[in-house]
Amino acid sequence: MRVAYRIRALPFLLALLAAFPPAATATPPRNDDYLSELLARALQEKLHEDPYWRTLMHYKRGVFGTRSLVDDPRFFLAENGKTDSWAEMEATLRAFFRSPEDDEKHAVCRFVARFDWLRRRLSIDPSKLPVSRCDSFEKLMDRVGPQSVTLIFPTSYMNSPASMYGHTLLAIRTAYESDLLSYAINYSAITNETFGLFYIAKGLLGLYKGYFSILPYYAKLQEYSDVNDRDIWEYSLDLDTDEVRRLLMHMYELQDIYSDYYFFNENCSYDLLFLLDAARPGLDLTDRCAWWVIPLDTIREIKKSRMIDQAFYRPSKSTKVKHIASLLPEERRLEALAIARGDTEPARFSGQSIPPEEKIRTIDLAAEYLQYRYAKKEIAKVDYVPRFLEILKARSSLGASDEERYSIPPPPRPDEGHHSNRISLAYGVVEDRPFQEIRLRPAYHGLIDNSSGYKRGSQIIFLDGVVRYDWPGERLEVESVNLIDIVSIAPRDAFFKPTSWKVRTDLLRRTLANGKDYLVYRLSPGFGRAYELGGIGLWYWMLESDLHVGGALEISYSLGAGGTTGLFQDVTGWWNLHLFAQDVYHGLGDKDNLITACLEQNFRVSSDMSFSVEVRSETYHEETTVESAVRWNAFF
Amino acid sequence: MKKVGVLAIAVCCVLAFTGESYAGRSNTGCGIGTIIFEGKEGLLSQICAATFNGSFGNQTFGITSGTLECEQAPTFIAHEKLNKFVGDNMDNLAMDMSKGEGEYLTTLAVLLDVPVEERAEFYGLLQANFSNIYSSEDITHIDVLNNIERVLLAG
Repeated sequence: MRVAYRIRALPFLLALLAAFPPAATATPPRNDDYLSELLARALQEKLHEDPYWRTLMHYKRGVFGTRSLVDDPRFFLAENGKTDSWAEMEATLRAFFRSPEDDEKHAVCRFVARFDWLRRRLSIDPSKLPVSRCDSFEKLMDRVGPQSVTLIFPTSYMNSPASMYGHTLLAIRTAYESDLLSYAINYSAITNETFGLFYIAKGLLGLYKGYFSILPYYAKLQEYSDVNDRDIWEYSLDLDTDEVRRLLMHMYELQDIYSDYYFFNENCSYDLLFLLDAARPGLDLTDRCAWWVIPLDTIREIKKSRMIDQAFYRPSKSTKVKHIASLLPEERRLEALAIARGDTEPARFSGQSIPPEEKIRTIDLAAEYLQYRYAKKEIAKVDYVPRFLEILKARSSLGASDEERYSIPPPPRPDEGHHSNRISLAYGVVEDRPFQEIRLRPAYHGLIDNSSGYKRGSQIIFLDGVVRYDWPGERLEVESVNLIDIVSIAPRDAFFKPTSWKVRTDLLRRTLANGKDYLVYRLSPGFGRAYELGGIGLWYWMLESDLHVGGALEISYSLGAGGTTGLFQDVTGWWNLHLFAQDVYHGLGDKDNLITACLEQNFRVSSDMSFSVEVRSETYHEETTVESAVRWNAFF
Repeated sequence: MKKVGVLAIAVCCVLAFTGESYAGRSNTGCGIGTIIFEGKEGLLSQICAATFNGSFGNQTFGITSGTLECEQAPTFIAHEKLNKFVGDNMDNLAMDMSKGEGEYLTTLAVLLDVPVEERAEFYGLLQANFSNIYSSEDITHIDVLNNIERVLLAG
C-alpha cells in the first residue's frame, strides 16, 4: 500500500523536476538527477525493508504496524519517519545532498551509520556529495582508539528494584593495556527519584526517558564495585574492528536521543542490544526478546550467538574484604577492625613482631574496609582521609606481598546457572488426599533453587502461579498466584551488618473457620537478621506483618503480625535445604493464629533441572494439616 | 636511571600543559559529544547529575563515592588522560602504590609509558617513597604528579 503510493509519487516528482528546474541555490542540476537515480534504485531494491535499515532505525513490527522504538522526534528526518520506513529513507538520502550549514549537524554526520550503510549499498559517489565524511566522528574514533568490546554484567543488587536483576553495559577497550581506561557505554533512564512508588510506576509505564551515555570504565567501577557491593562479570566479545566501528557509529547517531524507558522490556539491557545488532548485521538480538527482558537472558542470547570469548570475574570491594578476612585468624580480623575504626594506630600495629604476611594482610584488610565504609558514607571525609593515609603509610613500609595477589576464586558464572523461567510438576498428599500440581514461574530465582550463579540467600519471584488438581474431589483450581515474592537473607558479621528483609504479595487459598477454602489476597513485608553458623548453615529470623483481604473473611480482612525463623544450607553442590517455622497472629478482622513449619529440600539434576521435596505442616484454629509433595522442576 | 629520567620529563610535560586547567570545573557532562566537542553541554550533563550523587571535588582524596567529572579536555592528548586518571582515582591509586602492586598502579605505568621490564623497579620506587608522594591529606592530583616526578628524578 505504501509502496504503491511511492511509485505513483516518484514519476510525479521526476516530472516536476523536469518541468521546473531547481533554483540555483543548493545543488547543481547534476546532483539532483543523481539523487533521483539513487532514490529510484533504493526504492527498486526495497532498501527500506532491508533488515539492517530496520536495525538502525529500531523499527519493530507491532500490533499497530511497524514503528520505531525510538521516541525522540529528532531521530527522524521525515515527519512520519517513526512509522514510515520509506519516508525516512527518502528523507535521509535527500538530507545527504543538502548543503552544509555546519559540518557537524549535516545528515552525513548526524546519521553516520545510516550514511555508511547507504553509501555502500548504493555505491554513492562521494564526489557528488557536499559533505562526504564526518570529521567529528573520525576524531572520536582517534581519541577512543577502540580495539574490542566487552559486555559488562554487574550482578544483582537487592536493595533497589531497578538493580535486582543486575545490569548490562558495554566497555570499549582502547589501545592502552589497561581495562580501567576502557570506555563504558551505558543506557539508562534519567530519573529524579531513586525509589518509591512514583519511581516504580514511572518506570513501568515508560514515563522516563532513556539515553546512551559514555564515560570512563573506572567511573562505573567506582559506582558498582566500590559503592554498591556488586561483583562484576566481564564477557569479552569477538567483534572485529569493522564491527566495533559500526557499533560506535550507531552509538554516535544515538547521542542525545531518547527512547521511552520501560522497566520490563525497553530497559538498559534491551536497548544495548541495538548496538550489537548494528555491529553485526544479521544478528537481530533485539528480535529475540519476549514480553520482558532480563539482563542475564540477554547475556545468554549473546552467548548463543557465539559472541563471547571469555569471562572475567571482578570481585566487589565487599567480596575482597570478606576474602582477606577469611585468610586471617580471628584476632587479626579484630585488629584490622580496630585499625579501620581508628582505635589502633597502624604504625604501632606494624611495629609488632608478627609474621610479615599476616601483618600485610591485616593492614590491607583495614585499608579496604575503611574505604568501603567511606563509600557507604558511614564515616565522614574529615575522619576518613587522615586515617586512610596513615594506614597506607604503614603499608608502604611493609614491602611487597610474598604470595600472589589475593586471587579470589571466581564463583560459578551467572550465565551458567539455571534459566529464568521455571515450570514444575508436583505430586503430593494432604491429609491422605492426593493431589497433582502444575506451577509456572516466569522469573527468576527461588531460595530453594540451586544457587550456582545466583546470590545465595536471595529470592526474586514474579508471577508464580500454582494450579492444583485434587483427586478425590476431582477439583481443579488455582492454589496460589505469587505476584511478588522477594527475599534477601544477608548474613551479618564483624564487618558487615546488613538487614535481611522480605516482601511478598500473593493470592493464596486458605481454609477458613467454616471448613471451606477461598482465595484471599495477602501482603506480607518483613525484616530481620541473619548469621552464618559455621558448618550448620545460614540462620535467620524475621519479624513480619501480614494482611489478608478477601470477601469470605470476617469483615473482609485479617491483619496481624508475627515472625519467622529458619535455616538455609547448601549441604553439597547439588543438595540444599531450607527449614523454617512461622507464627502469625491475626488480631484484627478475621482473627486466627497461623503456625507453619516446613522443610524443603532441593536436588540438582542438571543446571536446568531439579527435584524438590517439601513437607509442610500448618496449624490453624487448632487444627493441623500436613502436606507433602515431590516436585520436578525444569528451567527454560 | 636514564629511562626514569625520560619518564620524569614526560611527567613534566603533563604538568606544563595542565597548570590550573582543572581548577573549578563543575560541568558533569557525560555525553558522547563531550569527548570531542569543546565546552558543549549536552542534555546528557543532566544524566550524570542524576546518576551520580553530587560532587566532592574529586581532585583530592575521598572520591570513592562514585562521583566523576566527564572528559572536557578541549585538546585531548595522552597526557591529559594521565592527569584525569590520577585525579579521578586518588584513593585507589594511593592504595595500590602503598602495596607496590595493583590495577591502578599498572594503569599509571601504562600512561607513563613505563616499559614492562622496568615496572617492578618503578613500583618499588614509588612504594618506598609513598610518604613523599602522598605527603599530606589535602594533596591534589597535581601535587601527586609533581611529587612522582621529583621521586623519579631523584631516583
